[in-house]
Amino acid sequence: MRLKFRYKLTYEQADKLIEKYYEGCTTVEEEKRLHGFLSQVNLPAKYKSEQTIFGYFNERKNIKSFQIPGYLRWTAVIAILFIGAFSFQVFTSNNKQNYAYINGEKISDIKVIKTHALASLSDLTNSKNEMEESIKNLNNNNIIEQQLEVFSEIK
Amino acid sequence: MNSIKKYLALMLVIGNFIIPNLQAQDDLEIKKVFDQYGEKKGVIMVELSSEMLEDYDFTLFKSITIKNNPPAADFIRKCLSKDEIGAKKVKHVVSNGIPTTIYLQLPRKGDAFRLILFNESLKPELKNTLIYIESKNDSEEALKLIIKKK
Repeated sequence: MRLKFRYKLTYEQADKLIEKYYEGCTTVEEEKRLHGFLSQVNLPAKYKSEQTIFGYFNERKNIKSFQIPGYLRWTAVIAILFIGAFSFQVFTSNNKQNYAYINGEKISDIKVIKTHALASLSDLTNSKNEMEESIKNLNNNNIIEQQLEVFSEIK
Repeated sequence: MNSIKKYLALMLVIGNFIIPNLQAQDDLEIKKVFDQYGEKKGVIMVELSSEMLEDYDFTLFKSITIKNNPPAADFIRKCLSKDEIGAKKVKHVVSNGIPTTIYLQLPRKGDAFRLILFNESLKPELKNTLIYIESKNDSEEALKLIIKKK
């Protein structure tokens, strides 16, 4: 791959090149550089004639500037973000799987998984009453009062 | 100013998509138990999501059973002690100064009612069972369903 290093011509260098151009001694490369220099906007008026020679003004007219409207840019950004968010959603929902790990081995047989799930539930308590009592506690706001009553009976 | 408004609107859109997808258990300490011990030997970890839990009306069921691992048991208790903050203790049984049974009703997160159930049994061997349940129904209903299905 060839790399081209472009540098700006100074007015002095440009003047020299223009002189060389009129003498018919410029190389293709030098003419290209000169062309690049003359296609700059806001050049001093003295370069106007050279600009005309190089057809800069005609070129400028023919160049159709293409700019993406601001609203379109924002729409594109929003679309990209939506796609990203949607992908994230799909990815995370796929993660909600049904699985079991038994001694480090992943099991996907749903019957086995359910059996182990039920087994873990039955491990919690062997007594049905125990669990029922716990449910009572869930919505029992008077529990503190009841516990304090025990102390009030002590004489 | 205009671009800031646009930026905020974008953030809102993204937030609406992403935030509900963050799992309700992510803020809990017990998540570390599942992450650290789930795939180790002597451990059974189960995760079931809504479609497999129609009978129970749960949206998520996660359980882990760890056998003969006292450090793991201590770690679970440590995590539970952090998750207890702000939660309602439904049941708390202490044996010889060590909590052996803990049922916690966690604050609701989004649509999810959340429960943590923990039990330690010593006989015939040391067995720690930790269950995390998410349900669209009240936690009371969730516990009732567990009893019915037992």
